[in-house]
Amino acid sequence: MSTVLIMRRIVSDQRVVLTTLTVGLFIYFGLKNSAFFSTDFVIYPLLRDGAVLTVIGLAQLCALSVGHLNLAVGRMAAVAALASGAAYQYWHLSLIPGLLIGLCVGGALGFVAGLIIVKSQVNAFIVTLAMDFALLGFVTFVYVTFTGATAAFITKPKGMEFWRNTSLHQYCIGGVCGPKVFPMMLVPAIVALILVGFLYAKTRLGRELLSTGSNLRAAKLSGIPVDYRVIMAHTFSGLLAALAGVMLAFTNGSFTASIGSQFMLPSFLGPVLGGTLLVGGSVQVLGTFIGTMLTLVIRQGLSVQGIGLETLNIALGLVLLTALSLGQIQKMFTTIRMRGQT
Amino acid sequence: MSTELRVEKVSKSFPGVNALNEVNLTLKGGSVHALLGENGAGKSTLIKIITGVYRADSGSLKTNGEEKFFESPVEATHAGIAVVHQERNLIPEFSIEENITLHNPPTRLGIVDQSERTRMAKEALQTLGFEIDLQERVKNLSVAQMQLVEIAKALVTHAKIILLDEPTASITNAETVKLFKVIKNLKDSGSAILFVSHKLEEVYEICDTVTVLRDGESILQSQPLENYKQSEVVDAMVGRHLTDRKVELREVNRNVMPVLELVDVQTALGHEKISFSLYPGEILGMYGLVGAGRSELARSVLGLHKITSGEVKLNGQVVHIKTLRDALHIHHIGYVTENRKEEGLFLTFPVRKNISITVLSRILQKLGIISFQKEDAISSKYVERLGIKVVDNNQLAGTLSGGNQQKVSVAKWLAAETNILIIDEPTVGVDVRTKASFHELIIELANTGLSIILISSDLPEMITIADRILVMRDYELVDNIHNIKDYPTISRAVMTAIHPV
Repeated sequence: MSTVLIMRRIVSDQRVVLTTLTVGLFIYFGLKNSAFFSTDFVIYPLLRDGAVLTVIGLAQLCALSVGHLNLAVGRMAAVAALASGAAYQYWHLSLIPGLLIGLCVGGALGFVAGLIIVKSQVNAFIVTLAMDFALLGFVTFVYVTFTGATAAFITKPKGMEFWRNTSLHQYCIGGVCGPKVFPMMLVPAIVALILVGFLYAKTRLGRELLSTGSNLRAAKLSGIPVDYRVIMAHTFSGLLAALAGVMLAFTNGSFTASIGSQFMLPSFLGPVLGGTLLVGGSVQVLGTFIGTMLTLVIRQGLSVQGIGLETLNIALGLVLLTALSLGQIQKMFTTIRMRGQT
Repeated sequence: MSTELRVEKVSKSFPGVNALNEVNLTLKGGSVHALLGENGAGKSTLIKIITGVYRADSGSLKTNGEEKFFESPVEATHAGIAVVHQERNLIPEFSIEENITLHNPPTRLGIVDQSERTRMAKEALQTLGFEIDLQERVKNLSVAQMQLVEIAKALVTHAKIILLDEPTASITNAETVKLFKVIKNLKDSGSAILFVSHKLEEVYEICDTVTVLRDGESILQSQPLENYKQSEVVDAMVGRHLTDRKVELREVNRNVMPVLELVDVQTALGHEKISFSLYPGEILGMYGLVGAGRSELARSVLGLHKITSGEVKLNGQVVHIKTLRDALHIHHIGYVTENRKEEGLFLTFPVRKNISITVLSRILQKLGIISFQKEDAISSKYVERLGIKVVDNNQLAGTLSGGNQQKVSVAKWLAAETNILIIDEPTVGVDVRTKASFHELIIELANTGLSIILISSDLPEMITIADRILVMRDYELVDNIHNIKDYPTISRAVMTAIHPV
């Protein structure tokens, strides 16, 4: 009895521990160098980057939920951003329709990845890795062909400046205005968090995705259409990757081939630190946000301390390694406990 | 001195089960010894003790006069003991010759000697008269071919003591004839051979002496086989008295429309002319040896394998079940798998979610949202009904004991409120008490009108709870026995159907 209670407490505590760690580190870095508390130069950009990386983390989380990986999240984001950018540049679409085109392209890429995985029975790791390579070539080719030396779509749809530069500060209800540190970019991230969280916590579809990840054969024998669920998970993954890609393009102010090239590592860091199992069957949606913020605080904190890029990457690599080992160690303990009980 | 292996007063118990009780067995060079007994009598356990897979609780093992239990299978191999286990022990991704020489690959300067390896594997397979490309991967072989590779793997070690645990279970007669030739050659060259088989005619053809195990005890100990008639051996195998529980005959009305009827069904897996009917509230047993095709038939009915001809009727209507989802949601057939850990449970899910997985469509609110209230009510109901021992519904399934896990995997199908439930090996690996409560549960379910197909390799279990027993052999139904629940009569009838005299 007590083991169960303790375990449940640890699971629910994990987010508390992570939050405490994030806030603690934040304060620590701020006390060492007060420049870290700067709203405009540190906190606002931190949260804005956090918004983008949380969404890419959620993209990975969807693939992880069925026990798969999506190594093409970055390139799916790039292709989606490319599609949106082209829509703004050539067809002069306004903000939302352009965004929707990007999302459709991302979703379609995810769907294709899922379909190939299911039909070919090849591991998701291989399929998405191959897809990543293919899309990398495609994106570079398109930018070079259509935009020549600039290698970017630079048309900014109306409203883009607003999303990239303003905060909730602009909104006031009855004289009370939103905090200045709250970037508008967080809004789509929060919407994504709520939708994904709702999907996995409350809905039948979410439950079926998780059961597919937890035990594929048992799910199949329980009458769950596992192939469709796998395709769906990858479609969601592509869709969210697309959202992250367009959000990053907005943040940067231009649509370039380099969008998404830095996505792969953070896409795993957020979910895994947050407590999502790499083997599938269990996800932590809010944990993805907290895990992402923790890595960003460490990155920003160290860089404000004047630590070089190389050291920074070493530190981040170590964080990932620790997080991954934690998952494995946890699994090991679970296995040992199960053996003890049977 | 000649080869000899002597097992004396060996006992072994597993949690809840007394697998072996002071068993004796003697193997002598130049003779073939039969080890007989029903499923679960302890034959495989004994072989695993001899080869160092399990550790005996007490007793002794003498190999060529040296008294010592082996600590590991490797040690047993070095002592000149080769074994063909009942379950496959091949590496699917390796080639045939790599598998055959797996224990001791020939090397030169620390590098595997490829040509020597090929020669050894070829020689072993030639003695079996089995011709095949040695580079073929084992995963591409048929079950029978794998069995032959397994035997070749034992032959290649040139062991003087050879243990064969049901080597003929899945090979054809022609291959069996070749195998027997090899066994005779080995015997003439002074090897000691232990032969386990359910096929009595084979035993009489090749064996010289016999030991019969029943409930972990040696009923016949190393007796000359010629002194016993086949019927006497069967008596020794099944002659137990079911004193532990009273069994009652149930009334099943068979003058109504069967809920499930198969007419001349043929499957892609090789079932031929399968016909039977299942009536409302009936417990229909399906008995057969491992590999007889029972689970495969059940899975074919559920749409997991193709039915190539014949008819499947539900309540008189011909149906074509394409997927398990249809079987469950449209036709209301449930399937409790025999591999509960691999196929029956979501270990990362709490008990609540494990039970509700089959009924999600019934506990939905708008927008596909699961009603946690209803989920809780349903799961609590079945936790209580089956007496699953949990702290609460949110306990992870992975933390439950084997018997409780089995109950959870049954609970989800009860919750589904199916009309037909196919239960595959419900009591494998559960202790005696849980087993009894399972039997009561199955009977109780049938009494409420649920029609049950019970697949089991446990004959006493079958005779205790089934109303009729279908006997299956080599993917065919060979008998349909009305179970009067008299153990000696029925077990004899079943055994005769499996081993036609």
